[in-house]
Amino acid sequence: MGSEVDDAYLVRRAQEGYVDAYADLVDRHGLLAYRVALRLLGNHQDAEDVAQEALVAAWQKLPGFKADSSFSTWLYRIVTRRALNRITRRRVTESLDLLGDVGDAGDGPDQQTERDLTVDAVTDAVTALPPPQRIAIVLRHFEGLPLAEIAGITGSSIPAVRSHLFRGRRTLSKTLAEWR
Amino acid sequence: MSGPGQPIHDVSLLLSGANARLACGADIDELLEQAADGYAGQFTSHQQDCLYCQAALNEFGRVWAPVRSLAAEQVTMPAALKSAVASQIRKLVADVWYTLQLSDGGAIRIAARVVARIAREAARDVAGVRVAFGRSTHSRMAGLIERATLRHRHPNAAVGVLGRTAVVDLAIAVQYGDQVDAVARQVQRRAVAELRSKAGLRDVTVNVNVDDVIT
Repeated sequence: MGSEVDDAYLVRRAQEGYVDAYADLVDRHGLLAYRVALRLLGNHQDAEDVAQEALVAAWQKLPGFKADSSFSTWLYRIVTRRALNRITRRRVTESLDLLGDVGDAGDGPDQQTERDLTVDAVTDAVTALPPPQRIAIVLRHFEGLPLAEIAGITGSSIPAVRSHLFRGRRTLSKTLAEWR
Repeated sequence: MSGPGQPIHDVSLLLSGANARLACGADIDELLEQAADGYAGQFTSHQQDCLYCQAALNEFGRVWAPVRSLAAEQVTMPAALKSAVASQIRKLVADVWYTLQLSDGGAIRIAARVVARIAREAARDVAGVRVAFGRSTHSRMAGLIERATLRHRHPNAAVGVLGRTAVVDLAIAVQYGDQVDAVARQVQRRAVAELRSKAGLRDVTVNVNVDDVIT
């Protein structure tokens, strides 16, 4: 039902204490929080923890949220910061089961294995990038965001984002080329 | 650098060192960007005639294919995430009062959010209502009771016991063209009736705020 109104409406109601309006925002953007955390951290458990932290933190910070950015941009900012904290707190190097239960039922066992390997290789390569490059690559090439929005999320400039992307793409390409 | 001879097909070689350009002068990072964005097969006019660019784009496109395929994969939200967030937020919300009804069999407490939910669902059923949210608020009486009992309250007890009274705010967005006040009054009547019948609340106040119209 909440789908008929825009995010700004839901944000205003949530700010007024209508908790259900925030539940609708979580319905809309919870997946975004989880997906970005998953790509940045490389495993389901950390991603779920960080997404949960971020969504609760967003509720707590909601009174101070100004409508100068969209709710999703703001949430991206909170999730990437939380993920960054986790990366720096304990360097995640091992890749866990990224695939989970999303495997296609139509894949045979051989294809599934190859797919697993590919997913693991890409995940390892992405999570091995230094955090600033990793964030830029995930927001640009996994979330498809424009450079200006990435700069807004990360609190940096467009040239800085471009530079992180250039370096991140080179590193990622070299790693994946060696893997193949 | 690839030098004036054959185009290089090895990505590691292309990207090793500080090479910025192919032999034709094309910027390697821009070609990489083109491939990463999924346009390795869409040549510019220069690229249509340039074997260096074509070879590089072909290799970059191949290397980036698994990244693009992972990025395109559907991710599903873990089932427990939403409820975990909701439960944490409930703990944070200060509004923890409940209604209390005493009988010989014991006490029945209904949390404020349940009261708000009943009112919200009632509002949603009214024709012309497109969106509705419910918020239970403290009445002036509840505030007085809360202050009066503050000193005697058990540390773990919920605050603001309200007895069989409730004050609920509803924010609704209505269908454009409908008579707004009539819809609001209908929402009010229906919410009051539902709170009386579903929660046994005797003294019910329902404030309706119409804050948007939807075409």
